[in-house]
Amino acid sequence: MGMRVTNEQADMAAEDAVKKLSDRFGSADVKATVEHHANAHKMAFVRAHVPAQHWTAVAKFLRFDAAVNYCSMVTGTHFPEGGADRGWEVVYHLMRQPVTDQAPNTNTVHVAESLRGDDIPLEFEVILTLPQTETPTVPSVQGIWVGADWNEKETWDLVGIRFEGHENMHRVLNPHDSPEGFHPLQKQHKIRYHDFNEMYDDAQGFGRKPTDEGRVK
Amino acid sequence: MTHGLWTLRVKVDGETVVDTEAELGYIHRGVEKIAESRDFTQITPYCDRLCYVSAMTWANSYIYAAEDLLEVEVPERAEYIRLIAAECQRLASHLMWLGAYGPDIGSLTLMTWCMRDREMFLDLLQELGGSRMHYNYPRVGGVKRDIPVGFADRLVAKVKLFEHRIDEYEMLLDESTIWLVRLQGVGYAKAEDMVNAGVSGPNIRAAGVNYDVRWAHPYSVYDQVDWEPAVEKPTSVKGADCYDRYRVRMEEMRQSCRMILDAIEKIPGGKNTNYANGDEMILAKAPTRAPEGATGFSHYECTRGASQFYIQGGGDGRGKNPYRLSIRSPMFITIPYVAKTMIGYKVADIPAIMGSFDPCIGETDR
Repeated sequence: MGMRVTNEQADMAAEDAVKKLSDRFGSADVKATVEHHANAHKMAFVRAHVPAQHWTAVAKFLRFDAAVNYCSMVTGTHFPEGGADRGWEVVYHLMRQPVTDQAPNTNTVHVAESLRGDDIPLEFEVILTLPQTETPTVPSVQGIWVGADWNEKETWDLVGIRFEGHENMHRVLNPHDSPEGFHPLQKQHKIRYHDFNEMYDDAQGFGRKPTDEGRVK
Repeated sequence: MTHGLWTLRVKVDGETVVDTEAELGYIHRGVEKIAESRDFTQITPYCDRLCYVSAMTWANSYIYAAEDLLEVEVPERAEYIRLIAAECQRLASHLMWLGAYGPDIGSLTLMTWCMRDREMFLDLLQELGGSRMHYNYPRVGGVKRDIPVGFADRLVAKVKLFEHRIDEYEMLLDESTIWLVRLQGVGYAKAEDMVNAGVSGPNIRAAGVNYDVRWAHPYSVYDQVDWEPAVEKPTSVKGADCYDRYRVRMEEMRQSCRMILDAIEKIPGGKNTNYANGDEMILAKAPTRAPEGATGFSHYECTRGASQFYIQGGGDGRGKNPYRLSIRSPMFITIPYVAKTMIGYKVADIPAIMGSFDPCIGETDR
């Protein structure tokens, strides 16, 4: 029979992590809460709002004191109409995984139900909110999790978030000679040819013009 | 493994690899941007096309995120059908990997054998989704249509046949000197290094770690069917080599077979019943709009590792579209790591090492 981490275990681990974070960084305006997913098994996870200037300190704490060993995903979002305080958002999804190097001819057999403390797999969602600005900047955590390296490259490439201290930043998905300042997931760039009327009036597309013609693409 | 869609720059000293750098982005299609002007049902076919070898798992992965965002309860029968479909896809995908990896190593026989067996599972998936590769099968709240009458018998017959075929493959490969010489002792990778670098899935399980999203961040009904994660014992302190990664995928195919055979017997509502499209046994009612500020996240064991979707609601059409949809591709993170593990090996080992991690550029470039 398949095993799984139970909801109680995830709740316990999440409350533990939130308590640790609040004790250490509560005075630094870090707001951590236990949240639950609405899908599948309604598992608990930790959501933390972190001010960008404290992000490096919080990241080091998570990595070395809370056993969060896996940086899985970095998402940048552009909010041109989000008000003066919320122009950009950077969301880090971090995971805790019970993984150690193996001696030859051995393997770890985790029994999910009996995992305790920092061995319980747990998900962290760290949200950095940035004010309305032309140059959104957050400190890089490339040196803390190697896995953050290409995630941050991608976020800069597509969304235009700058990662201070990131070494060897370059385009990864866009062409390497894309114009400077072009980041397609920013909201001022619209998808071309998505207007249905235009498609039916001119099925062959001879008369179409890009909606952002004449501007930097 | 797909070839020809990316570049690996290699610095060599004689025959030895000194430095490498991966170059990606050749088939970047901008799915994340396109999704911002599509509603939640319209996004599913784009997610199918993220990875053309493993469409079903990617569509499922997206659907779990959309269900988190829209707060939908999925009927249990639909969860069982999704599990069976995803595991059939895992078999087809691993067969595609083995079929492409064989010629890389020098075994052309493998290609023809694997393609033959993969066809069985593509036929089964075609019965569900209607097409061979891109099924557009899962829906927010369930699945598009129920399993057809007779599907269960065909499924069981094919899976049981395939279990014997796995033994055949092992007889072919594990006694082939070429296969062993080219795979053993090549491309070592340690578990902790891999986790720190963001590698996941079969690649870390090959290094002796029993870690799988299916039990660690549970979704679907994997806790109700009979299986255990496929884990390989590494033979050296240096970690897992290419041979370990091959072994773990063979074992994973066995586990998928075991899961399918168990799930089809346990499916609620009976395996030979066919509910009409949209019946509440297979499809729950779901809202179509998500408010601003709502978020959805899914963590899914794809065939190549952990795939993740993160959706922020409240886009165009009063929340009909996502405001931002972000995709985490396991291979996008793995490829730069693999490129660095090649340092110190010979040029001739590059295809063996790269292929053993099972890269798929469709999902990498998105």
